[in-house]
Amino acid sequence: MELCLFLGCNTPAIRPDVERAIRASMPILGIDLVDADNYVCCPAFGAFPSTDSDSWLATSGWNLSIAEEKGRDIVVQCGSCYSSLRMGREHLMHDAEKRTRVNELLEPTGRTMTGKSKVRHVSEVLYKEIGPETIANHISKTLQGLHGVVQYPCHTLFPSEVVGFEESARAPKGMRQLVEALGATVDSYSRELQCCGGAGGFMKSTPEQAIEFAKTKFDAILEETKADFIAVSCITCLMHMENVQNTLNKRVGEERYKIPVFDYNQLLALCLGFDPKQVASICNVPRDSVISRLVSVNPNEYKGPLRRDRKPAAETEVV
Amino acid sequence: MDLQGSIKDLWKAIYNTGDLHHCFNCSTCLSGCPASHGDPPLLVRNLARMVILGLEEELLNDDTPWACVSCSKCEEMCPMDVKPFEMILAIRQWQSANDETRVPPSIVEIYKRGYTQAVGVNTELRESLGLPELNTITKNPEQLQMFREILMKTPVVSANDYMFGG
Repeated sequence: MELCLFLGCNTPAIRPDVERAIRASMPILGIDLVDADNYVCCPAFGAFPSTDSDSWLATSGWNLSIAEEKGRDIVVQCGSCYSSLRMGREHLMHDAEKRTRVNELLEPTGRTMTGKSKVRHVSEVLYKEIGPETIANHISKTLQGLHGVVQYPCHTLFPSEVVGFEESARAPKGMRQLVEALGATVDSYSRELQCCGGAGGFMKSTPEQAIEFAKTKFDAILEETKADFIAVSCITCLMHMENVQNTLNKRVGEERYKIPVFDYNQLLALCLGFDPKQVASICNVPRDSVISRLVSVNPNEYKGPLRRDRKPAAETEVV
Repeated sequence: MDLQGSIKDLWKAIYNTGDLHHCFNCSTCLSGCPASHGDPPLLVRNLARMVILGLEEELLNDDTPWACVSCSKCEEMCPMDVKPFEMILAIRQWQSANDETRVPPSIVEIYKRGYTQAVGVNTELRESLGLPELNTITKNPEQLQMFREILMKTPVVSANDYMFGG
């Protein structure tokens, strides 16, 4: 499958190890990636979507036109980018007047937006196109023995009509199955579907309340699960869920909140055997407790349910 | 709540959709809304009521639409298809158009370099991770200029050109 990689702003600028994890892991699973050259901000909801429809949709149109030129769908990890591009495309596809206006604006630059490129989230590609079984059959290390919890990116769930790919946005399964494919046990907890609260102006305008809000989630994880790690698939969830734990520790005066947070592609890349220094080195909550416990796969011994079609060791051995 | 200054048709200027009038204040939009825990809280149903009632001054001075995290859960939950998140964006757009101090500084960053963050500047770190150099628009003056020219024709940039060095 050929896709156009849209990186957004935070991943390449602040967490390029996540970018490295995506670029390392996806091709092994059959996804060919090319860069969206000259892309711009998605646009972030707090930017042009908060000023006027022309600047919002012209910016969406600019980005979509890049993928259209390459004849590929877009793949994106950041939840906000995903939702903004999907919503922008939705408006342009369902409102001929807006589409005409945007193409008028794009015309002098030689660009055009027709809608032939769709926007896909990396977790959807992993879950729906590649699938947990294929992932389980490709990994050389597992998270066996470790417990994890998952954080679904809100922007991939709501509104399901526009952004969704799960059978039910109120009972999503993708992230759980993807993490289970890596051999970990995924624990459920009462606040699993609660938003991390990291995007938009909530944290900036009322940080006290935003941190209290996040605390309810972390307390539920600590009380109800044996989580050794949190798996996310959104750059904002990743950064916010680390930073909040450090803030909470300062408040309670002890290291109570110290659950490592990983982007799913980082866990995947680690299980595919990539160097932790390259694919999972930038963090504010130490990850050694997970990285040091990766278990090498022994195909003769490991018979997890998702590995049933793994070929015998002799056939998979690399010569 | 003072209804003296109520402007009957204000909703048409802010969020011109018939669906808005189906809102019966059930508060489903608040369930799961992170910013509803803020101080002051973002109360989506109250904003819908304010738009319908045409409370211009209260709406212009209301900061809470900007606390929205854009998770769009309200959009999923609303039983009347009001599309509350679209309404939040519409209120912000109307505020930005009527009060230049509301125009988000991030759009100036995007105009200047294409991004809200310094994308492609961390070359040493990227190299150490085995990452390629990025073909950013910041490094491509011709493309950046084309992108700016599009923006110059849009309402927010043409109405506030002084912010963009124009």
